[in-house]
Amino acid sequence: MKNYRALKKLKTFGQYFIAIFMAVVTFFPLIVTLISSLKTNDEILLGMFSIPKVWNFQNYPDAIRIANALKSIGNSLFVAIATLVVTVIIAMPAAYVIARKSFGYLKAAYFLFMAGVMVPVHCTLVSVSKISSALGTKNSYAFLILIYTAFNLSQAIFLFTGYIQGLDRGLDEAAKIDGCGDLKLLTTILTPICKPIIATEAILVFIYGYSELIFSLILITDSNKYTISRAMLNFTANFTTDYGPQFAFVIMSMIPMLIIYLVLHEKVEAGMLAGAVKG
Amino acid sequence: MFFKSKTYRKSYLKSMLFVLPGIILTVAFVIYPVINTAWLSLNKWNGIGGAPVTWVGLENYIKVLTSEKFWKSMLNALYFMIGGFCILMPIAFGMALLVTSKLKGIKFFKTAYLMPVMLGTTAVGLMWTFMLNANFGVLAQFLRAIGLEEYIINWLATPTVNIWCVVLVNEWMYAGYNMLIFAAGIVAIPDEIHDAALLDGCTGLKKIIHITVPLCKNMFMVFSVICVTGCLKAFDIVWAMTGGGPMDSSATPAVLLYTQGFQYKLMGRSGAISIILLVLGLVLSVLLNNVIFKEKD
Repeated sequence: MKNYRALKKLKTFGQYFIAIFMAVVTFFPLIVTLISSLKTNDEILLGMFSIPKVWNFQNYPDAIRIANALKSIGNSLFVAIATLVVTVIIAMPAAYVIARKSFGYLKAAYFLFMAGVMVPVHCTLVSVSKISSALGTKNSYAFLILIYTAFNLSQAIFLFTGYIQGLDRGLDEAAKIDGCGDLKLLTTILTPICKPIIATEAILVFIYGYSELIFSLILITDSNKYTISRAMLNFTANFTTDYGPQFAFVIMSMIPMLIIYLVLHEKVEAGMLAGAVKG
Repeated sequence: MFFKSKTYRKSYLKSMLFVLPGIILTVAFVIYPVINTAWLSLNKWNGIGGAPVTWVGLENYIKVLTSEKFWKSMLNALYFMIGGFCILMPIAFGMALLVTSKLKGIKFFKTAYLMPVMLGTTAVGLMWTFMLNANFGVLAQFLRAIGLEEYIINWLATPTVNIWCVVLVNEWMYAGYNMLIFAAGIVAIPDEIHDAALLDGCTGLKKIIHITVPLCKNMFMVFSVICVTGCLKAFDIVWAMTGGGPMDSSATPAVLLYTQGFQYKLMGRSGAISIILLVLGLVLSVLLNNVIFKEKD
């Protein structure tokens, strides 16, 4: 019996050891980058893994000035938020009629949306760039946001439809008897009830929109309009001698996401799981 | 429809208005581009608006399928898959076992493990590019400290080594994400089964192999589909860390189709790679769904 207990203790210890080791591996690069962002260039060149002799905060203003860091973070935040708003506005009504009405064409529409899941974004690059040249919408955020929305719709409609189907139809009937039309039913009754799933989807869209790279690569050429991923790549490619501001920029780009994660991590977990299992 | 009542017709049309914006967006930016890409893949075009688009039939496909670059990029995608199944899957499953066990501080560990996914692929890629820098990076510093200086090379510029660096960074980033998937599967196993296993003296590793893994079969399927399709699509992390270079040595198919299309202006070639990827992705997911993980009733 004593032996068994010792074994169990050893096992628990092993589990803790592995868990802590994994956490260290997860945080280590982040901490090293953070510390390096507070060093002078000379000190960085001596090696990233050391505590700075002098804490140097100059890299942050430098990154903001040279790389226009705050502007690109703002651009990304704007694009991400606009995308999530447009996605919800377009997906909610569609999900509502798909879940509640039984016209034949709605099945076809649902099938169309689900087919969208199967299409990798890269298969559309050439054509999207062609459409955008033809319409003269290079550098247009409106166009970029519509593209992002198009690629997030399938997931949004899938999640929303599933959620609305799980709601009691009696609610709709009661509202209809009270003279509530489809639009009013959707906006004043269903949307508030669907808040949890809307939040889940909004987080997924936000994460996607904030750090999306490939469409911004082909559609945005004006450096004032660079989103964060684009601006960082541009900066590190053109500014190769001074590393401090580069570290500072990378750290700054992560801050909005980390704040969101710290505040909403349970929602994020739920959202990611819902998004993954759909595939 | 004409025989139905007026209210029916009204509702019919109104519902159409509700789905129409979504349909227009999907058709305009997802379905039409795919068809257009398929058509372009049979043509030669340099991507400039007024330039002629000439029909070349299957030439682009033949050129792609006989080019060394393409097969090299497929090999890199295969490395991604090998990494996914041999490194990412065991680690993610292990993490899932940890965060579903009865340790203290589970919440903290779970939150910590998932964090890398939130940081943004480009930021993660750049961060690791610094870490792997041969002059001042942490790995180089570590090797120097333990006297293995001769092993310090420019990892991200050495063919095959560079793609594996990218693969490993990718695993670092997505381990927590896949942990969530497996953890959901493990949590879904009913308590009675655990109790029965305990009564039968089935514990530890034996229990994991004979009970946990088989009962998480669905989650392994979800993982496989995401992993396989994700590997074919891998772009951001490669682009941020190596840009596919040097000499396309670390290019994945997605990177190759981007460079072919937008740097060399071979739109037809790029289109052909796109369509090959699309078809391959569909075939592999259908195979995974219906053959390997087929439900045995």
